Amino acid sequence: MLAFLALASIALVGIAPQCQAIVIYTGWERHALVGSDVRLSCSFFSWRWTSEDVTFSWSYRPDGSRDSISIFHFTGGAPYVDNKGPFRDRLEFVGNPGRRDGSILIKNLDFSDNGTFTCDAKNPPDIVGRPSSVRLLVFENLPVQAGVITGAIIGAVLGLLVLIVVIYYLMRFLVARRVFNLSVSKHGKKGKGKEGSQQRQGPVLYATLDQSKLKASASEKKKQESRKDKK
Amino acid sequence: MLILLAGIFLLHIATIVLLLVATIDNSWWVTQQMTTDLWGTWVNQNGNWNLTSVVTNSQEYLQAVQATSVLACIFAILGLFVFIAQLFTLQKGQRFIFSGVFQFLACLCIMIAASIYTDIFHKNDPGQYGYCFILAWIAFSLTLISSIIYFVLRKKVK
Repeated sequence: MLAFLALASIALVGIAPQCQAIVIYTGWERHALVGSDVRLSCSFFSWRWTSEDVTFSWSYRPDGSRDSISIFHFTGGAPYVDNKGPFRDRLEFVGNPGRRDGSILIKNLDFSDNGTFTCDAKNPPDIVGRPSSVRLLVFENLPVQAGVITGAIIGAVLGLLVLIVVIYYLMRFLVARRVFNLSVSKHGKKGKGKEGSQQRQGPVLYATLDQSKLKASASEKKKQESRKDKK
Repeated sequence: MLILLAGIFLLHIATIVLLLVATIDNSWWVTQQMTTDLWGTWVNQNGNWNLTSVVTNSQEYLQAVQATSVLACIFAILGLFVFIAQLFTLQKGQRFIFSGVFQFLACLCIMIAASIYTDIFHKNDPGQYGYCFILAWIAFSLTLISSIIYFVLRKKVK
């Protein structure tokens, strides 16, 4: 019994630190324009309270290079920014360690700043964890994503079409209802009469333009049919 | 009467086919080594054709041409169904306005697509216009004729 309890407690102690590992969050990728500023965010999750000895470290590895250099370190309550490397005078600490935020601001970006930025945070005694990386991409002008404008134009026009059709049928439905209400009251025959006369006037005005050809072809067909019947 | 109807129907189907071919095939601009636009570029390298994405400075205009040519196809196909529906439901002596409107919208869209393409793309590039570009302009004229016919045509009054 006691041996079983001892084994169980040892197993729990063995598993526990893994549950209590520190987890660091940065973005996956950041896109920015040349000459602009970019804020690289870094925060962490830890089961312990935020200690006074919390540390943040940022390191930078340029695209195509295998070496990474350290560019920022926060320890003992004070930030230490890069004053000799590629980011001197351009790096600023904008985070709040008390709120587990270790973000940095890089100003006046250039194409040589393309690369991977790695954030490592430690919250003593919780120091076991994996650093997280964010990739920075610097563009001359922000590219339009494939198909966004295409989809937007097609969607907008088709949506407008559906809207117009719905409004048309709605208006027809409402007008039909009004006619029905009118016919119940005094103006019934006048309303129906007006519609009927309009329908008759339409074809009468334009019949000579179209109906002549149709009548000619129809009469020709009738003659042909009668000839076939006779034969 | 039936012959007239069949002719109008065939004209409509022909416009749909022309619009679909012009939109789908990547052949608005051809050179010796490649044929390109609207959706990709086929490059001939040592006898093998490889498909790559279109490289251009006017991405927004290319996407506008893509959108309007697809819309022209959609309107023409919808117009065909509307025409068939109107054949059965229209009152005697009435005009095929609805089908004419759809064909006219298709004509407008393909005209916008072809005009943008003519004005913006390949102004100083070597090469010549491909067959899809020509089909787009032919489809414009055919849809215009088709829509005018629908606006003038009337359902037979017995």
